Amino acid sequence: MASISLRSLVRPSLPVAPRIQPIIIAAFSTTSLVSAAAPPAIKNRKDLPKKTKKTYKKKQNIVPVKKPAPGERKAFRKRIQLSNNSALPVAGLDALEAQTMARAESSGRMFAVPDEVVDQLRALEAFKSTQTWNLFRKPHVLVRKETVELMGRLEASLEKKEAFKCYQCQDLTNGNTEYSPVPDTEPMQFTQPVYCLKLLQNIYKANRAVLEKTPLKQDWSRLSATLKPGSTLADLALSAKESEFAWPTLSALWTELTQPGQPPVLLTLDGLAHINKVSAYRDPAFNPVHAHELLLVRTFVDALSGKTKLPNGGAVIAATSQNNTHFHPSQELALSQLEAGQAGKPVPKPDPYERKYDDRVYDALKNSTVMRLEGVSKEEARVLMEYWGASGMLRSVLDSRVVAEKWALGGHGIVGEMERASLITMRM
Amino acid sequence: MATMATGLRHAKCAGSIAAAQWRTAVLPRSTFSLAIRSITSDSQKTTPPNLEVEVAASVPIPYQGVTHARVVPATPSYFSREPQFNDLYIGISKLLTKYNHLPTVPPSEAPQMPWTKLEEMRAQMGEPIKASHYAKVMRVAKRLNLIEPSLRPQEVKVALTEFTRDINPFLNMPNPITIDKFGRAVGVGKRKESTARAFVVEGTGEILVNGKTLSEAFGRVHDRESAVWALTATQRLDKYNVWALVEGGGTTGQAEAITLAVAKALVAHEPALKTALRRAGCITRDPRTVERKKHGHVKARKMPAWVKR
Repeated sequence: MASISLRSLVRPSLPVAPRIQPIIIAAFSTTSLVSAAAPPAIKNRKDLPKKTKKTYKKKQNIVPVKKPAPGERKAFRKRIQLSNNSALPVAGLDALEAQTMARAESSGRMFAVPDEVVDQLRALEAFKSTQTWNLFRKPHVLVRKETVELMGRLEASLEKKEAFKCYQCQDLTNGNTEYSPVPDTEPMQFTQPVYCLKLLQNIYKANRAVLEKTPLKQDWSRLSATLKPGSTLADLALSAKESEFAWPTLSALWTELTQPGQPPVLLTLDGLAHINKVSAYRDPAFNPVHAHELLLVRTFVDALSGKTKLPNGGAVIAATSQNNTHFHPSQELALSQLEAGQAGKPVPKPDPYERKYDDRVYDALKNSTVMRLEGVSKEEARVLMEYWGASGMLRSVLDSRVVAEKWALGGHGIVGEMERASLITMRM
Repeated sequence: MATMATGLRHAKCAGSIAAAQWRTAVLPRSTFSLAIRSITSDSQKTTPPNLEVEVAASVPIPYQGVTHARVVPATPSYFSREPQFNDLYIGISKLLTKYNHLPTVPPSEAPQMPWTKLEEMRAQMGEPIKASHYAKVMRVAKRLNLIEPSLRPQEVKVALTEFTRDINPFLNMPNPITIDKFGRAVGVGKRKESTARAFVVEGTGEILVNGKTLSEAFGRVHDRESAVWALTATQRLDKYNVWALVEGGGTTGQAEAITLAVAKALVAHEPALKTALRRAGCITRDPRTVERKKHGHVKARKMPAWVKR
């Protein structure tokens, strides 16, 4: 009752009588509407009913398949699989320790890579998708004679290696990563902000334990407000959240690492020829940019040539190979001269008719030491193949003839080719 | 052979044939006075009996010392279809009868002879020799060839030359591969368009192809395996070093040319491996090459597409 009384008080906003609209009611008929409807009138030939061709093909049952998301296929292709549960675990092999590789007696033996080292190496992108880590239960490495020699040299230069930087330099110069000019530089220099940010994060991931323990020596508060005087290198590495600040932060980190009293540094680079060429980048005047004008490359090259001193000890290692490379006359000349000098042979002279010599490259390389890497020896190949056999990958009888055959088929002991000849084209 | 037997028949029973064929001798009339009418009618005998004897002596008696009524052919094969060939057969048949007792060697040890082919013999003699006759003759010739070579009579040797070609292809042997003072044996091998030279020395199993290792020279593992197949099949891969030069053709051809070259050089080092290598297929050169293009075809066999006018 109350509602009625209330409604009577409220003035209706739309005074519409409920029965004023016409109510449509179908007329009474026993035939349906459809049959009652007249066929469309035929006015010309087009309106004549058309013969339709009968199709006897069954419609395919289309099952909705989820297409892979963008980048998923590439991620699958580039994924790095470091273990395989189908492979047999290999017992009786020692784990790698800090001093193992430097010991002479560990030459020509297989070692298991500890899990934490695997994580570090993975962060540094040291594993490649082309390598056959996915055939074995756990990553193991063969310590070669050359490894022992190299590690011996590293030992001589530093007490304990602490920090890594690892470059894949093909990506730096083939124009696939962003670059931006550094203002007020002549000739113009460039940074690669996205690559630098990724590198910083990788450095942090791989060397977190060391970076967190090392305090900053200088005041870097202008880079980030979070950097207090007592902050550590880890804070510095983490302070770059955006790619614009990546290069200043990276250069700050490098400056810190070259201060006396900081941990020694190991700089490594694969694909030396790629950082010695003229890069695929162009400056605003559309002139090609020499790779040494890229600041990240410049940092490495200065360290390699000895222009930047490493007061805490450390090593700079650059690698080149016959694959994925190009001929660079200056690099070839420098390396051949260094090699001849080390072997005590007559030093080759530069070719007077060669026009493509590059003095910057020659100067960068002339103070280094060259170590030529060949395939593994037959004894090492045997150790490696015994490991394959123990993993259940090699089924044939393993004797000196088989070792010699695979060694020859693998181009005198190139491990990847030996794997191709014996594991990948497996004939069971 | 029936023809030949027929041919030889009259040789066998020459007497009877001669007798049968002998035409009855008709003495010609004497030409003297018996037939001449004399002018004188008186029948006085002017010629004394001794004169008759004289006349008879002066007239030559025909066919004295003649045994045959007509020219007998020099060879009994004269009336056969293939007289020269028949003669050959008669000759070596006689030789076989004569020397049947001589010791023989097994066919594998008999000296290899470049026997004349049927076509060649037909052309040489200009006679329509039957293949079956030829086969029979050759059987006799080959039987004669089985006679122990040191005891073989000269006439057999001479007779057999009739059945051999002038050029002996079996003497056309390749020069034997020698091992030089550095211990190298050089073998040459070919396949398709490729030619390879392989220098094989005793060593530790290092292989260089055009100065490159196997993996640099051949991208396919299959090709690498073919290149060293001669060594792998004989289990000698770790005993020799190979330094190969190869040119022409594609990768497969080059790899298989190296196989042949290495096998030949390996045989120079170890001749006993030849059968093993032959079984592995490393001795015989693969004669297959690209089929030539024909006119009217797009390639060797491919025909142009059918076009409606």
